[in-house]
Amino acid sequence: MDTLNELANGFASALTWQNLIFAFLGCLLGTIIGVLPGIGPVAGVALLIPLTMNLDATGAIIMLCAIFYGTAYGGTITSVLLNTPGEAASAITTIDGYAMTKIGKAGAALTIAAVGSFVGGTIATLGLVAAAKPLGELGLLVGPPEFFALMVVGISLLVALAGKSMVKALISGALGLLISMVGIDPVAGAPRFTFGSDNLLDGVSFVAVIVGVFGLSEILSYRKDSKAAAVHAPGMRSLLPTGNEWRRSAPSMARGTGIGFGLGLIPGMTGSVSSLLAYGAEKKFSKHRDQLGKGAIEGVAGPETANNAHANAALIPLFTLGIPASPTIAVLMGAFLQQGLTPGPTLFTEHSEIAWAIIASLFIGNVLLLLLNVPLVGLWTSILRVPASILTALILLFMVIGAYTINFNVFDVFVMIGFGLLGLALRHLDIPLAPMVLTLVLGPLMERSLRESLEISQGDFGIFLNRPISVVLIGIGVLIVLSPLLKLRKPKALNEDPET
Amino acid sequence: MTKPQRTRVAPTVLAGIGAFVVVGVYVLVSSIGLGLWTSLGPGPGMFPFAMGGLLVAMSALWLVQELREPSGTASGVDRGLVLSVVISLALLAAVMDLIGFQLSMFIFLMYHLKIRGGRRWVSSLIIAVAGSFGAFYAFNYGLNVTLPTAGISVLNSIGL
Amino acid sequence: MPRTRIVAAFAAAALIGLTGCGANAGAANNTGVDFPKKGKSIELIVAFSSGGAVDTAARLVQPILEKELGTNVEVINKPGAGGQIGYTQLTSAKPDGYTIGATGSPSVVVSPLDPARGAKYTRASFQPLGRQVIDPTVIAVQPDSPFKTLKDLLDAAKANPKSMTASTTGLQTGEHFALAQLQETTGAEFAPVHFSEGASQATTAFLGKHVDILVANVSDVTDLSKQGKARVLGVMTAERAPSLPDVPTFKESGYELEAGTVRGYSAPAGLPEAVATKLEAAIQKAIEDPTVVKKMADLGLQTSYLSGKDYGEFWASQEEDFKKVLPLVQKTD
Repeated sequence: MDTLNELANGFASALTWQNLIFAFLGCLLGTIIGVLPGIGPVAGVALLIPLTMNLDATGAIIMLCAIFYGTAYGGTITSVLLNTPGEAASAITTIDGYAMTKIGKAGAALTIAAVGSFVGGTIATLGLVAAAKPLGELGLLVGPPEFFALMVVGISLLVALAGKSMVKALISGALGLLISMVGIDPVAGAPRFTFGSDNLLDGVSFVAVIVGVFGLSEILSYRKDSKAAAVHAPGMRSLLPTGNEWRRSAPSMARGTGIGFGLGLIPGMTGSVSSLLAYGAEKKFSKHRDQLGKGAIEGVAGPETANNAHANAALIPLFTLGIPASPTIAVLMGAFLQQGLTPGPTLFTEHSEIAWAIIASLFIGNVLLLLLNVPLVGLWTSILRVPASILTALILLFMVIGAYTINFNVFDVFVMIGFGLLGLALRHLDIPLAPMVLTLVLGPLMERSLRESLEISQGDFGIFLNRPISVVLIGIGVLIVLSPLLKLRKPKALNEDPET
Repeated sequence: MTKPQRTRVAPTVLAGIGAFVVVGVYVLVSSIGLGLWTSLGPGPGMFPFAMGGLLVAMSALWLVQELREPSGTASGVDRGLVLSVVISLALLAAVMDLIGFQLSMFIFLMYHLKIRGGRRWVSSLIIAVAGSFGAFYAFNYGLNVTLPTAGISVLNSIGL
Repeated sequence: MPRTRIVAAFAAAALIGLTGCGANAGAANNTGVDFPKKGKSIELIVAFSSGGAVDTAARLVQPILEKELGTNVEVINKPGAGGQIGYTQLTSAKPDGYTIGATGSPSVVVSPLDPARGAKYTRASFQPLGRQVIDPTVIAVQPDSPFKTLKDLLDAAKANPKSMTASTTGLQTGEHFALAQLQETTGAEFAPVHFSEGASQATTAFLGKHVDILVANVSDVTDLSKQGKARVLGVMTAERAPSLPDVPTFKESGYELEAGTVRGYSAPAGLPEAVATKLEAAIQKAIEDPTVVKKMADLGLQTSYLSGKDYGEFWASQEEDFKKVLPLVQKTD
């Protein structure tokens, strides 16, 4: 078969010493960038493009792609160890990841995250090889109405994330949605809730918010007398997950792969949506869902797999259609162009050896990420051994640099401080953070796609019901919201039927 | 039937509920000014209006729940810690553009290591230098990321 | 009172002395400009995030500027609010030549026009130094569309206003203004759909057939046209775009309309004459450098240099055009 042949040739060139080193360097740099909160994948890839300008096209792109999916893992490390997400998509992992660290299972969390990332990334790349073109076209079917319907599904998962108090979850969700509405609105293009500040015209920086709400509030909530006190650095044995944990993670990884891969194909979907929805799916479908939030391995396995599956799948629209699915990939595309390569179908006809070498390198890169990070788990977790006073100071340093480098603006540091205080208040009042993160991410996407759909239909709400995909999705969303009520009905129905 | 314990609702909870109500009402009122509906569908004020309303409604429900069955609050907050961290961070952010990252972060780190952390002079100094001047050079030359330099030209000229 | 008089005299003397110093320096500058001072670096503020087109162009131009001016040129990204944050920083810097910035329209032209945005600058706050590239706007239809020429499309739109959807990259963006100008000059009205995530989102929606018409820049559309995924009916510029030689201009089809994205460099207004001359010369060298031109062409951007003065006039005429259609673009029903 042609494809296999091409792929084999691709491997041959990807496995040369130089390209292996580039892939490795890319993974390493990507991980480091993922660790630093402010420098997200976009800035990271962009900043490192000049480095790659002197390399040949294949090597340069290999390295840049490696940086790209490397960042997806890097953000996890700080999420799990320090409760501070390194990038947006890792936000939801903090919840169960850090809870696991607090009970001494940081190593297991990181290992499962690494393996999950590998699984998700590799399967997504297999998808790229096997069915790139049809999958690319599939992504195009999702227009604004379908996008909106997906957002409805996402927000309906808020119900699943509710936990014990629906009232508090709704407050959290409403807060998140409100915060997401600060800035220039998609309807009239006028500033909304910006209090005259230029800095708020783009809205509140998501990364600054999550670094504050998770990371800073954690520090602010230390109490000298607290019994849950010190975070334990795990001993050698507990660096690896137990057999039970591996078993529990498997279905989560499967779900995560599916969700991440599917959403990654849709241009405009960000990695954080995938990891959020994967977490929601775990809350809804996993066997141990009541443990979610207290350190359940599923809460790490699902989102992390989804994250990497998404990152690799998002390359499909780039390769097949020449469409960047996200700002990061747009930067990657710029690098392609500067090297004289035009991503899209012509890439495979005009530069097929380079294209296949890059694809082969995607597989290799996922392996490298795994090899790079699993042994380093011990190293990462030893961070926890650093004395508390030093660790706190360094974490603060890290968060300040992180917040500043989002937009090179001290305003974001103030945002972080403010949200640190808000996070402290929310913890104190026992209000869950997950719904707020959910609506913060999905809110703008939802409002935007609603508006776009109505502009297309010139005000006709029927557009959501005229199109098959969006009807199905909205139906799913409604089902999810109503499901707690349906569950209450079921036992009664069984009782009423004497024949069963 | 056991009588429910008539403990009072914790003041912090009341304050929290109150805060949400205030925010909710403010949003409700200002979103009307933004326009609730346009010819093509929801206006800029629609979602904020809904969310403001939701906040107020949920806060009211919460209050009712609390009055029926007051929850014990989580144990208190270490006020000294919160104040020192927040104020030092705010000061740091405020002067960072003025005196540059290196100097401001050095002072910040020294404060947290020596004064709050009670560490010895030598280790504090080393870590503070690494975290401020070291980090600056690492980011600037290693990652090509520029952290703020001093606004005051005097400091600027000595490389801060 | 004698004391205050002495203080006043002192102050006046000091002021005169200072201006005298300035004047002396200026006089000395006429021959060998003391700009830029050795070791003092120049900041190039880019109001958009790294990796984007404006940033890439600035970083390509940077090494040549460094060579020409003999000092470090640092690219500083200050993204946000569609350029407003960076532009604010640029215009509030001292006009001494040590701070320049990349200016792109329509963002720089539009942002001061809308009072709701509260921009702290106007056109007068900038001193244009040179225009680098133009990226004209084009109109494209689906490859299977019944419209083969621009006239067909516009006539159909005139007959049935708002019957066809056209993409823009957001409210009050270049495409939105282009559509408004189109309506103003030809009477053809389309229903705009605003894709605020940018050109790639608009293109994706167009490819998925969720919008009828793609309004985009030449650089976005060239590849699509080559693949046959879009039929470009007209380009809004005076001469045909080099990368789309078969596409007629609007002028050729009978409509007076020019629109597009334009990128160049400016300084805060009020530069001393000698400094401005030196900067402009360096920028011209950088813009016209063959490697830079080639790299820009690779990215699909057409280098079209205009001197500071001409760029300024062009900017003024763009502002006039936009002001005329501003009410059309601002109505929110």
